[in-house]
Amino acid sequence: DSLALSAENVQHNLRIAYYCRTFLSIVAGAIAGVLGLTGVYGFLCYFLVMLCASAGLAAKTRFNTSAFFDSWHRVAFDGFLQGLMSFVLFWTLVYDIVHIF
Amino acid sequence: MAEELVLDSAIRDWVLVPLSLVMVLIGVLRHFVSKCMSSQPEPDAKALKESQIVLRARYLRAAANYIPAKSFRMRKSYFNNEENGLLHVPKGQGQNVQAQMLSDPNMAMDMMKKNLSMIIPQTLTFAWVNFFFSGFVTAKIPFPLTQRFRGMLQNGIDLSSVDVSYVSSRSWYFLNLFGLRGLFSLILGEDNATDDTQKLMQTQMAMQMGGFGADPAKALGAEKEGLDLVQHEWLLPQIEQRAAAVLSQILA
Repeated sequence: DSLALSAENVQHNLRIAYYCRTFLSIVAGAIAGVLGLTGVYGFLCYFLVMLCASAGLAAKTRFNTSAFFDSWHRVAFDGFLQGLMSFVLFWTLVYDIVHIF
Repeated sequence: MAEELVLDSAIRDWVLVPLSLVMVLIGVLRHFVSKCMSSQPEPDAKALKESQIVLRARYLRAAANYIPAKSFRMRKSYFNNEENGLLHVPKGQGQNVQAQMLSDPNMAMDMMKKNLSMIIPQTLTFAWVNFFFSGFVTAKIPFPLTQRFRGMLQNGIDLSSVDVSYVSSRSWYFLNLFGLRGLFSLILGEDNATDDTQKLMQTQMAMQMGGFGADPAKALGAEKEGLDLVQHEWLLPQIEQRAAAVLSQILA
């Protein structure tokens, strides 16, 4: 039988996931900047960090995502690209501060 | 082969960091100012009651299969009853509320104020950036771009041999504008006044709901039909036996 999910709680969980991803994208920008990654490697770093975020969230739910979210690919891939702008901003900032100046 | 430019660290101290800092502070300021200035429209008791009724009917539709058939029919007739059911609206009343909603100057003023409070700081900051920080290379973007972006990103710089990755302060301003949205959502909470796209979506939704609330008769009628359409299927057959089995398992 199907589990009934409370819509409010699912939204709350999704919001938490979004906050985590935003924060991690800023951190990823700082990492990429400090390491001096340019071009494709930087974006690779971003996707790597996003995958780690998905893995972390999945581990936090003890791999039982249907108890917290309505579908597992929602928690894995939602908001993937939303942190991209913040990532680029902080990547540029840190890269410039550390390497150019 | 790209030549590496060596940039003065004074640029970093006096342009990069202050610009970002100023934008963050202006965003926070704008958020608090809009909170102070936002006027809460007085809730209309009748409209509120109707929207709550619609909400109740929706919940009933969603969870219909978890209550026994008789209870569901009882609730359904409470809503859809022809004489005094909650969702049954006589024809004459619908238009009153509609006229009231359409000529709603408060809502229009509110939206205009919000729009202005968004546009003015952006314009001012942009003008400030242009005035003070133009004509020199500000930052280097860590990934390569094509020549097409040169006109857009290197506004004040008139040398065409400089790598496109070296950008002017105008593009740093735009980068900040888009990138700081994530930061604002973290420090100001979900409902902040700085997010453009959220604002657009909100105004769109307000338009939709403004048109929607303008005919409450339609909303109630739609809910009534929805309730009529529900096929009740009892999802918890023999629930007493199953509960007893689970309990005996736990207690054994």
